[in-house]
Amino acid sequence: MNSVLTDKSPLRVLEDSLTGGMDKGKVTVIASKKGVGKTACLVHIAIEKLLAGKQVLHVSFSKRTDYIISWYEDLFAELTAGKKIDNVDELRELIMKNRVIMSFVQDGIVDQQIINSLEAMIGPGNFKADTIIIDGYNFQKAEKADLDRLKAFAEKAGVEIWISASLKSDDVIFDENDFPCELTKIKDDVDFIISLRFKEERIQVKVVKDSTNSNKEIKLFLDPKTLLIADK
Amino acid sequence: MDLEKKLRNIGISAHIDSGKTTLSERILFYCNKIHAIHEVRGKDGVGATMDSMELERERGITIASAATNVVWKGTPINVIDTPGHVDFTVEVERALRVLDGAILVLCSVGGVQSQSITVDRQLKRYKVPRLAFVNKCDRTGANPYRVKEQLHDKLGLNSVLMQIPIGLEEKLEGVVDLVKMKAIYFRGDSGLELVEEDIPADLVDEANEKREELLDAASMFSDELAEAYLDGRETEEMIHDAVRKGVLAREMVPVFMGSAYKNKGIQPLLDAVVRYLPAPEDIENTALDLDDNEKEIVLQSDSSKPTVALAFKLEDGQYGQLTYIRIYQGTIKKGDELYNTRAKKKFKVGRLIKMHASTMEDINEGGCGDIVALFGVDCASGDTFVSPGLNYSMTSMYVPDAVISLSIKPVDKKAADNMAKAINRFTKEDPTFRCYVDEESNETIIQGMGELHLDVYVERMKREYKAEVITGAPQVAYRETITKKATFEYTHKKQTGGSGQYGKVCGWIEPLEEDGKNYEFVNEVKGGKIPTEFIPAVDKGFQASLNKGMLIKFPVVGIKVTVNDGQSHPVDSSDMAFQLAAIGAFKEAYMKAAPEILEPIMKVAVEGPTEFQGNIFASINQRRGMIVSSVEEGALCHVDAEVPLSEMFGYSTVLRSLTQGKAEFTMEFQKYGKVPKSVSDELMKKYQEQPKK
Repeated sequence: MNSVLTDKSPLRVLEDSLTGGMDKGKVTVIASKKGVGKTACLVHIAIEKLLAGKQVLHVSFSKRTDYIISWYEDLFAELTAGKKIDNVDELRELIMKNRVIMSFVQDGIVDQQIINSLEAMIGPGNFKADTIIIDGYNFQKAEKADLDRLKAFAEKAGVEIWISASLKSDDVIFDENDFPCELTKIKDDVDFIISLRFKEERIQVKVVKDSTNSNKEIKLFLDPKTLLIADK
Repeated sequence: MDLEKKLRNIGISAHIDSGKTTLSERILFYCNKIHAIHEVRGKDGVGATMDSMELERERGITIASAATNVVWKGTPINVIDTPGHVDFTVEVERALRVLDGAILVLCSVGGVQSQSITVDRQLKRYKVPRLAFVNKCDRTGANPYRVKEQLHDKLGLNSVLMQIPIGLEEKLEGVVDLVKMKAIYFRGDSGLELVEEDIPADLVDEANEKREELLDAASMFSDELAEAYLDGRETEEMIHDAVRKGVLAREMVPVFMGSAYKNKGIQPLLDAVVRYLPAPEDIENTALDLDDNEKEIVLQSDSSKPTVALAFKLEDGQYGQLTYIRIYQGTIKKGDELYNTRAKKKFKVGRLIKMHASTMEDINEGGCGDIVALFGVDCASGDTFVSPGLNYSMTSMYVPDAVISLSIKPVDKKAADNMAKAINRFTKEDPTFRCYVDEESNETIIQGMGELHLDVYVERMKREYKAEVITGAPQVAYRETITKKATFEYTHKKQTGGSGQYGKVCGWIEPLEEDGKNYEFVNEVKGGKIPTEFIPAVDKGFQASLNKGMLIKFPVVGIKVTVNDGQSHPVDSSDMAFQLAAIGAFKEAYMKAAPEILEPIMKVAVEGPTEFQGNIFASINQRRGMIVSSVEEGALCHVDAEVPLSEMFGYSTVLRSLTQGKAEFTMEFQKYGKVPKSVSDELMKKYQEQPKK
């Protein structure tokens, strides 16, 4: 379904490569410097899930939810632009209907209060989320306990969680395997870490931590404008 | 007096319960127009002067907008008290139309709430420059700094503090004026005595910091100030001047604060109204020239020009019908002859009135830019009055479609007479309130923008017109539409003796893609198969069919009809025959075109403590609602959702009981959406069960 729209989606390629990978109960972190396109990447992933009929809960830490809504609209418009799709409006409707945005105006840590709110949405709100997107998690302040809590929640609720991490230090250091040193302390608390780096006018996407230990090197390049797989 | 240069026409816009009425009342008080302060929910039973209607007093909210004239330090100000509830938005919008400036009142605890956003959007639509007043700084949890940030973050306004509070909550003593750099205290009886002192030592650093922010913001609007500021020789005058420029350009919103209830901060706010908000001549207003293809004409605030005025509010006072008008150009004198461009009627100006809260003053002339009232003029609100010779109309006001209807039945003959009077008045006052008699059931149906909107009118019928009525269950204004193309080939034939009827039409109907258009008729008949003179009759026949769809008898929208073939009879064809043929053709095609039912979907915003959010989510979910987003800030959560109107009846009661009365909601019409199959089946079943008369 809708493969026209998503055959170049980074997520599809990643998931295909990681057999038995990002799935229910798993926590994946996408890390990069500011401005490389983490939010766009997350929204891409969300749209792909939505087009597959999944329900997505988008968590953010900014007050303005209309910005997030326009991210979805813009990326969806970009995906569908110039393609012959009969039911664009229906698809857009589907995306709207299966997505809820929850915003928390605080310092970017998923604390117990937020978990309670997510549970309220899934339970009494009757929103059966499959995927939770967390944009702008503050890893600088996060403690091990915070991540453990999140992981436990993912397993209990049966959701996959995607988190973006903004690397804050001025001079972001990656080790020889493209692993962002800043995230070393949480390395063991999440299932996957994907690093995004701007290289040779393209964005390099690389899985730098893989709890399934597939030992495959997974690396691909994205067009910095569309964030789709670069044609090369 | 050059009124157009001095006058201020201001409105006070706010969320319910942010203390707007109290503030209006204090403004009147300080302008020495009234002599005792009464509370809105008055303990002494007198009530605030602006709420002239009993009903408002009872509910503690302001429904009608009354224009009141006051004078502050020599400057005349017309204060228009605008209602706060979304159900009455037309009243708000009509008031906004005639304003030159506004005070946006915010609660220091609640801050920018869902409704402040609606109200601000309306102010933006009518391009009204504004000041912000953070009220209720004496309340527990007051935080004017946060409200200032919210104005920026949530409303995208360039909000700039003009004052900082001295003490907050129960310790609120006064404010620091960041232009003068003085502390101002409100002492004496009712805060009448203004005492200026040095800034308390513990506030000096903060005052300096905020003054710097103010100067940085104001410098954007004045090179003179920017230069002087660099050299440290800025004057108060320069700052005022720059802020005024920023406000008039609608690029800056100065923030003031205080507590109307505790009589703190009102006088500086009045000074700011005079200093920063525009006079009529600072604002450009336009009218449409009806003689010149509705070309836009810029009106001039010039008393020597011919008169152009807008009737924006009708009111049934104790002395007869009052029509509030705003004079945009020229003046109006007693005995003048004016022309109503909608009704195309001339009339003579009899009594001319100026309103001061609940008293009125007879005047001989209304000046340019002023708001006055006329007595005994037969007109509707929104009418334009001009000097004979002109034929202008002020741009028509945006009037949304009604989404709800209610049947009403008078209890006896006397009530029936009174009800007719009341409805006649209300439909003139409020363009969103409509009324018609249903042909089939012979019932009187009133239509409006929401449950509360209609409730208020039913109440007013009882109170003001002594018309007891029995109301039916509220009815949602459904629509029908088609989703597929379907063809028709229909012959209307009646040729048995006498003059016969004959007409045949062929073609198809299909969904109309274009937004905002309900019907399109395309004629592709070639070779005179249907003679040209009968084409309008075919069009008319289809249009008549749209009034009642065949699913549940609600109007059909979004339909395109193409007629490409047909047949006529040299003797028996007539307009009537082709009209009936079209009606038959529509019936033939409609059910084949996969018709479906549409319902009004409301944009609902709920605000309440985070502890109840599970209940809030559940209440929306149970109403076939879709949660769009939820924002949590501190202990408060704000939920935006889309919910079908038909599910929203009685929601206020439900929400109250779910949240111990701590949550509130607003809603407004968003769009028409498809009704899910199960609901649509039920609606059709209900329609079929209705007794057919």
